[in-house]
Amino acid sequence: MVDATVSSMILDAAGMRALGAALAITVTGLASAWAEKEIGTAAIGAMAENEGLFGKGLILTVIPETIVIFGLVVALLINSA
Amino acid sequence: MSRPKEMTRAVIVGHKSILKQTIDALHDTNLFHIEDFVEDESGFKIDKPFKNAEDVSKKLVKIRSIANYLGIAEKEPVVQKSDAVLRNLDSKLDELDRGISAKTERIVQLENELKDLDSQRKELLPFLSINLDFDYYRGYENLKVFAGTIKGSLDESQVSSITKAFELYSDPQSKSIVLFTAKGDVDRIYELLQGLGFRELRVPDRGGVPSELLRLIEQKESEISKKIESTKAEIESMKTEYADFILASDEVLSIESQKAELPLRIATSANAFIIDGWTPSDKYDSLVSIVNNATSGKAYISNLEIEEEEEEHVPVEYNNSKVVAPLQQIMDLYSRPKYTEIDPSAAIFITFPLMYGLILGDIGYALILGTLAIAVKKAVKSEAVQPLMDILIYCQISTFIFGIIYGEFLGFPLAGLHGEAGLIPGWETIVLFPGLGGEHVTFPVHRTHMVMTMIAATVTIGLLHLNLGFLLGFANINRHHGFTHALLEKGSWIILEIGAIVAAAGYLGANSMLTNVGAVVFIVGFLMLVKGEGIKGPIELPSLMGNALSYARIIAVGLSSIYIAGTVNDIAFEMIWADHSKIGFVAVAAILVFVLGHALNTVLSIIAPGLHALRLQYVEFFGKFYEGGGIRYNPFGYIRKYTEE
Repeated sequence: MVDATVSSMILDAAGMRALGAALAITVTGLASAWAEKEIGTAAIGAMAENEGLFGKGLILTVIPETIVIFGLVVALLINSA
Repeated sequence: MSRPKEMTRAVIVGHKSILKQTIDALHDTNLFHIEDFVEDESGFKIDKPFKNAEDVSKKLVKIRSIANYLGIAEKEPVVQKSDAVLRNLDSKLDELDRGISAKTERIVQLENELKDLDSQRKELLPFLSINLDFDYYRGYENLKVFAGTIKGSLDESQVSSITKAFELYSDPQSKSIVLFTAKGDVDRIYELLQGLGFRELRVPDRGGVPSELLRLIEQKESEISKKIESTKAEIESMKTEYADFILASDEVLSIESQKAELPLRIATSANAFIIDGWTPSDKYDSLVSIVNNATSGKAYISNLEIEEEEEEHVPVEYNNSKVVAPLQQIMDLYSRPKYTEIDPSAAIFITFPLMYGLILGDIGYALILGTLAIAVKKAVKSEAVQPLMDILIYCQISTFIFGIIYGEFLGFPLAGLHGEAGLIPGWETIVLFPGLGGEHVTFPVHRTHMVMTMIAATVTIGLLHLNLGFLLGFANINRHHGFTHALLEKGSWIILEIGAIVAAAGYLGANSMLTNVGAVVFIVGFLMLVKGEGIKGPIELPSLMGNALSYARIIAVGLSSIYIAGTVNDIAFEMIWADHSKIGFVAVAAILVFVLGHALNTVLSIIAPGLHALRLQYVEFFGKFYEGGGIRYNPFGYIRKYTEE
């Protein structure tokens, strides 16, 4: 009985929306982090060889950040729908 | 929007007898970017460096190692005559070198003495509490002396069970013992000691009571330390005395070495030389007259036509006003523009601070960071730091303006909203017109209350920014490949966008006529793109949407900054110091939290908006038109600071 009340409290429409928004942010955040980790390590390696590559390294490292921005936009859309 | 400075290719030819004068004259003008000569089948060879090169570089190495040892840093220049510096160079350098090596040797010697004393002291320590004169330890015929340490403890009774003839001194703390016994009982005593883990200590050779000796050693140590200090102080005073000389002679020698090694970079035959390079076109005439004067007209200078394939290799010098110049730092961080390209410094002079301000938009942070930037600019005269501070100041001006538009001060709303009062009493938010998703556009703009509208607004700003990029790309291509190419490659994107917008407007307004027109325009744009860029165009089409959506980060990063500031304010003034009438310990704690929290957010306010605004320039904006990869204009010469002719 208790389970039923708890689940009806969380799994109503608003709760599902909130969970969906949270998932959108979490998964895209993890994806960005993973991608940036790979690029970041390579960029630092390249910079160790040649300081002048800082600009290019920075750009390449922040490219996957778009993923989490999309996630954020989706989360906000879900929340305000 | 400026182009890089126009360059002229100049070739200087002459007899080797005037090479030296030519090089001197070129170096003084600091206008000529020399192309390094690469040996080929033409029969010309690079020359040997001048005779003084070896000598000069030897001295340069010496002076730099001394400067390094003394830790001489750049400072306010005291300008000296360069020939005077050169005349005294040898004698002064010798004097300096000798002085420093004598002093360093003395320090090494003194430090060795210190080490020696230290080991003597270590020998003494175990005997300290026994405090017998060391002369008593030796010189006996019938006595044996055991001096050492043991693991357990030794009782007189243990010894007296073996012999009555003994004298025992021991120190329970350091576990050292000294035992005098008659020679006859040595073996058994030794066995006893062995059982206790006896280890013999070396008795110092000198005589004297340990405590007295220790006092002497400590006295000597402090004397030597003082001597080392005073020698170091002497070196320090040499540093102040010779700093000007070292800086000036480093400069003079660097100049000499540059000149002496130039023959390695130019083409020469048995009797003639050719120097090939670039000079800004407006300086060409003065270069010609200076070289002619120096060689009394014996050098032959001519300018060459720049061929199209050569344009890639023309060195690039920025051509910006002083206000825009700091932004060149951002350009160089990415890549210098090519000679054939538009230099977008002037564009990012507007857009970079604009994006930064849109993200941060807070009067409080603008004032804090602006003050910091001005203070650093005043305090640090370094050429690397100054432009960065200028950029930061530009950004703070924009942040201040957007702070007024957003009505924010350190995360507090300045204007009241929905009955909640703002920081400025009496300033109420005015509702202007309805926004997206049931939100209202207000003045001041409350970003937290109109997220959807702000996302749409930032994406629109992004589209405008991207189209500015297309227009710059259009201008670049138009100049080199003609109007048709430019229209197909870059103009097609703009036509595509117009088509999409018209079609969308028609769809939303239920006007099928408009939708169809939009669709036709879109298809025309699409076909132009395929013609202009080939298969690459359609593949890149979805990225346009990605690029535009990427500008949503402006509101996203901005919100994160507001929420951090707002949370700090809440913790300080709602949770810790909830009762505002009482002033006491709690109030102090609240202020501490407030200051620390905002200090953290201030640091984040440089990094996060800075990086994101920068990325929007580099990835989204530059991606639409910019190639980069220009060679830096690096004229043969030296900017003197510490010397003059």
